[in-house]
Amino acid sequence: MVDVAMVGAGQTKFGNHPLGLKGMWSEAVEKAFSSVDNDCSPSMVEEAFIGSIAFGGSQLGNTAALLTEHSGMDGVSVRRVENACASSGFALRDAWMTIKSGQADIVVAGGIEKMNDLSAERKRYWLGVSGDTEWERLAGLTFPGTYALTARRYFHEFESTHDDLVHVSVKNHMHGFDNEVAHLRKDVSFEKANSGAMVADPLTLYDCCPTSDGASAVILVADHLAHQFTDTPIWVKGSGAGSDKLALHDRPSLTQLRATQLASQKAYSIANVQPNQIDLAEVHDCFTIAEVLATEDLGFAGRGEGGRFARDGLGRRNEGDVTINASGGLKSKGHPLGATGTGQAVEVFKQLRHQVESTRQVRDAEVGLTHNVGGSGATCAVHIFGRER
Amino acid sequence: MPISKSSSEQAVFASSAYGQQWAGPDGDRLTIALQLLQSEMPSTIQIDSFVDSLEFTPSTPVDSIIESTTDWTVSSDGEFHLLASTTSFVVAISKHEVIRQWPDLPSTKPVDEQQKTALEEAWMNEIMGVSQGAYVSQSQHMLAMPSRLGLHAQEDASKIVWPPRQLNEQGQRIAPVSSRLDNAAKILTWTRLSAVGAPSEFSLRAPLLGGVSTVLVEFSSGPKGVFMLADDEEGQASIDQRVTFEVRRLYGQDNLIHYGLKALLN
Repeated sequence: MVDVAMVGAGQTKFGNHPLGLKGMWSEAVEKAFSSVDNDCSPSMVEEAFIGSIAFGGSQLGNTAALLTEHSGMDGVSVRRVENACASSGFALRDAWMTIKSGQADIVVAGGIEKMNDLSAERKRYWLGVSGDTEWERLAGLTFPGTYALTARRYFHEFESTHDDLVHVSVKNHMHGFDNEVAHLRKDVSFEKANSGAMVADPLTLYDCCPTSDGASAVILVADHLAHQFTDTPIWVKGSGAGSDKLALHDRPSLTQLRATQLASQKAYSIANVQPNQIDLAEVHDCFTIAEVLATEDLGFAGRGEGGRFARDGLGRRNEGDVTINASGGLKSKGHPLGATGTGQAVEVFKQLRHQVESTRQVRDAEVGLTHNVGGSGATCAVHIFGRER
Repeated sequence: MPISKSSSEQAVFASSAYGQQWAGPDGDRLTIALQLLQSEMPSTIQIDSFVDSLEFTPSTPVDSIIESTTDWTVSSDGEFHLLASTTSFVVAISKHEVIRQWPDLPSTKPVDEQQKTALEEAWMNEIMGVSQGAYVSQSQHMLAMPSRLGLHAQEDASKIVWPPRQLNEQGQRIAPVSSRLDNAAKILTWTRLSAVGAPSEFSLRAPLLGGVSTVLVEFSSGPKGVFMLADDEEGQASIDQRVTFEVRRLYGQDNLIHYGLKALLN
């Protein structure tokens, strides 16, 4: 079967972005194509998958066609992919499957979200559209509330406290401090992160990722074309996805994400890689408790050990076996919903090619993983990348 | 919140714990009436004048709400009449069509007049405005009402299913309703959202209540669910604590008021 290589990747800075949808997407695509070592242009793209929730209702229909029209991909076969915050993780998977199946050789996957030019009221409405509207939302829950329920239960079931979440927040802010595309570039002390305003008890402001504007795009090609574009392709060694009940209360466990477990098992199996071979993982830390769960569900820590993993600093850059969220994660780099998944892939692409800021480089990075979750865990896409095919 | 009740020869009367002048932060004549009906021996009842007394139009018919949440049957020639004072928050079950003298019922909880006024204004603004709140279709509200308000559950191969599901893993349709969950459950986890973290449909009332509390509970027969907490001004939830449920106002949207079950700490 065809192998898939990533030969280009680019993104906007995440944060309060001055550009609109067309401008941000064009910037991400421009950077992705300019990152390809040899000649490659948007007109060569055969298929495109663009993840977005269309936050705020902006160009809710035919989003993708508008974006490719404004980025030199006129006429390409394109569609919007929507799986909440995992939209572009699934766009990446769709692109990978398209090449794997032999339907196309050059495919773009990306994502975009414009979140920060809405009124506070409209923003709060849109932040709640991906949960279970009928049962969870009518019980007063948005995602801070849902993850707060998980956090409190996790503390009850295991030897863990809110301090463990503070360690996650401090680490990710430290990692993101030198990342020039990160939304929140500030070093945060333990004391500061431990004294944030309460958002959803027990989660405070420092447990929650920001709402960000941003766009990201990656260029995937079939193996026989990889070396036409670059001498250092990054191979998409494995892709897996899974789903779970939409509402937290319908799941057997409140402290595990089955979708992550299913997705990672598939990705590890296809890539023939074990968790202990991963050098860096970009995990979906929309809330700090989500990173704790991810370290367990992805196999970096045992069941109930995710809190201790964070407390012991095992995910810090170059300090443990695996660096967790070298980019700063959603917590610091930012979370423009639809753009997050392929934004994670951009980070891994650059890390594995040793092209990030020297202060942020994960030492001897050979194998990377991305973990992109939709909502409170209803959907998840996991990808494994390597310098070696 | 226990209702205040009194009886006379002509009727059984009830008000909220706040007495006749207020039904509480998320109460109204209908929520009081449902508690009164649940506390009396079921029979048949006429409700026409009661429906006319409601401040806002419920999103689902009142007779359906009553029959989903109590064992009473609504009938145009019912044995009893459900009645409400139009000048106070007192409701009654009576064999008479009209109550000549509505009683003064005592309050067991003090009323914060400032909060009462602010909440009444918030409800009015919320229901009159086209809010950016949750959209659940009217048909879905109707279809789910027995489950949402009455805890009606399904049974699939001896497993109790709630909230309702359509197909099982064998692709077979699960029968609509076969049993009712206990009106009590155990808290597995809980949270309290600050006013700024609450969903937009609660954005007017959450600041007045200091936030919104939600509990995730497990019923003894297995299903789990999430419910907003009501009347928790003086208490805080804890894991393994027991709760019971009452019908309360959830939110208003597009000139309709939506009702749901809320949990009360035991």
